[in-house]
Amino acid sequence: MTRRRGRGQVPRVNSAYLIQLAVSAVAVGLMIGLAAWATRGRGAPPLDEATARRWLADEFPGREVESLWIATDGLGALAKSGDRALILTRVGDGYAARQIDWSKALAARAQDGRVRIALADVTAPKAVLALGVWPPKELAA
Amino acid sequence: MKGFDPVTLATPFFIITVILEIVLARFGALKAQYETKDTAVSLTMGLVSSVAGLLTAGASFAAAMWIYQHRLFTIPMTAIWAWILVFLLEDMTYYWFHRLSHERRFWWAAHVNHHSSQHYNLSTALRQTWTGGLAGTWALWLPLSLIGFPPAMVLIQKGVSLVYQYWIHTEAIRRLPRPIEAVFNTPSHHRVHHARNPRYLDRNYAGILIIWDRMFGTFQPELDEEACRYGLVHNLGTFNIVRVAFHEWIGMAQDIARQPRHILGWLFGAPGWTPDGSRDTSAKLKAEWAARQAATESEREAA
Ligand SMILES: [Zn+2]
Ligand SMILES: [Zn+2]
Repeated sequence: MTRRRGRGQVPRVNSAYLIQLAVSAVAVGLMIGLAAWATRGRGAPPLDEATARRWLADEFPGREVESLWIATDGLGALAKSGDRALILTRVGDGYAARQIDWSKALAARAQDGRVRIALADVTAPKAVLALGVWPPKELAA
Repeated sequence: MKGFDPVTLATPFFIITVILEIVLARFGALKAQYETKDTAVSLTMGLVSSVAGLLTAGASFAAAMWIYQHRLFTIPMTAIWAWILVFLLEDMTYYWFHRLSHERRFWWAAHVNHHSSQHYNLSTALRQTWTGGLAGTWALWLPLSLIGFPPAMVLIQKGVSLVYQYWIHTEAIRRLPRPIEAVFNTPSHHRVHHARNPRYLDRNYAGILIIWDRMFGTFQPELDEEACRYGLVHNLGTFNIVRVAFHEWIGMAQDIARQPRHILGWLFGAPGWTPDGSRDTSAKLKAEWAARQAATESEREAA
């Protein structure tokens, strides 16, 4: 946002540039604060089944959801679709969706009601879902 | 025109308009969705990007100056026709830069950052890459200096383009009058560019003029029946700024380390390319979408 470039010369880092940069940094802080104020109390509601199904349909078109578990804190969901596990985790007021082998999801263990599932993805390394007892009794081998 | 830089001049305008968009949206006066962490990431990406840009700006400008010494023509910076020409040529260069940045993973690794927000507001415009200089795409502008446009002139026009593209990152403006939508890149056209709906993927690469997309077959109008869903095909599951800034470079390095004999594919294949086709490319997503459309269509006809 703050750049100093002259005609026929390489950019220079001088005190004017540093002042501009500092002012921009303060402005960034101000805008973030303003966004926090403006969105206070307006975050996404806890995930419910209908919303989860809509997200799954958008993210994994054509995949049938056989079983669906919604996190008790409403911050994500896990679905079984054939040999795949479809996973939603909350980011901001939206969700990130990933799929892994169902056997890997089933192998995850719950600790204090939270299931940690490795997603092996740089942009979504793991999902932590409050699913209570895991694996579910009806599916436990 | 010594030291004239459109981006620096426009920075106060960027700040004021983001503030206005947030406040007016808060009171329901216009359509805009902000999320605090998302905004923080976008603005931090922008701020650091301006510093990162400095690191390579010197080298790229020096390269342009060197090429300019071997120019074919001498184009005066004072002539109006020269500005019209540089406007058109720079804008076409931008189109191809942008298309390359989406169609080949090595350049996508730098450009992906601009697309990783699930929101579309003025702060999204400032979500800029830190690794653009590393990707080397600045070399695409060198031919302009070889033709004979002074490097400073090219730099100014690049700045004008960047500033132009700022204001189109908004949901507050629905459609502009037809003649404008026909010729210029607008909020509506660029929303499509930021959308992850299969039919909208890899469309509308324009900088200032949308005519290049119309000419080169990548134009897609925004459709009332299909609202834009923003972000990446696989949206980020984290706001960790280091992951946000470098994830595609890291992913590419991991792929190369795992299967080095496919290095050319990993580097220069389409984003999502794999030797076994196990991930999603936009071509695959578009084809699957078209097949689903055709299936629903024939079902409807049969009924
Ligand atoms: Zn793009
Ligand atoms: Zn954009």
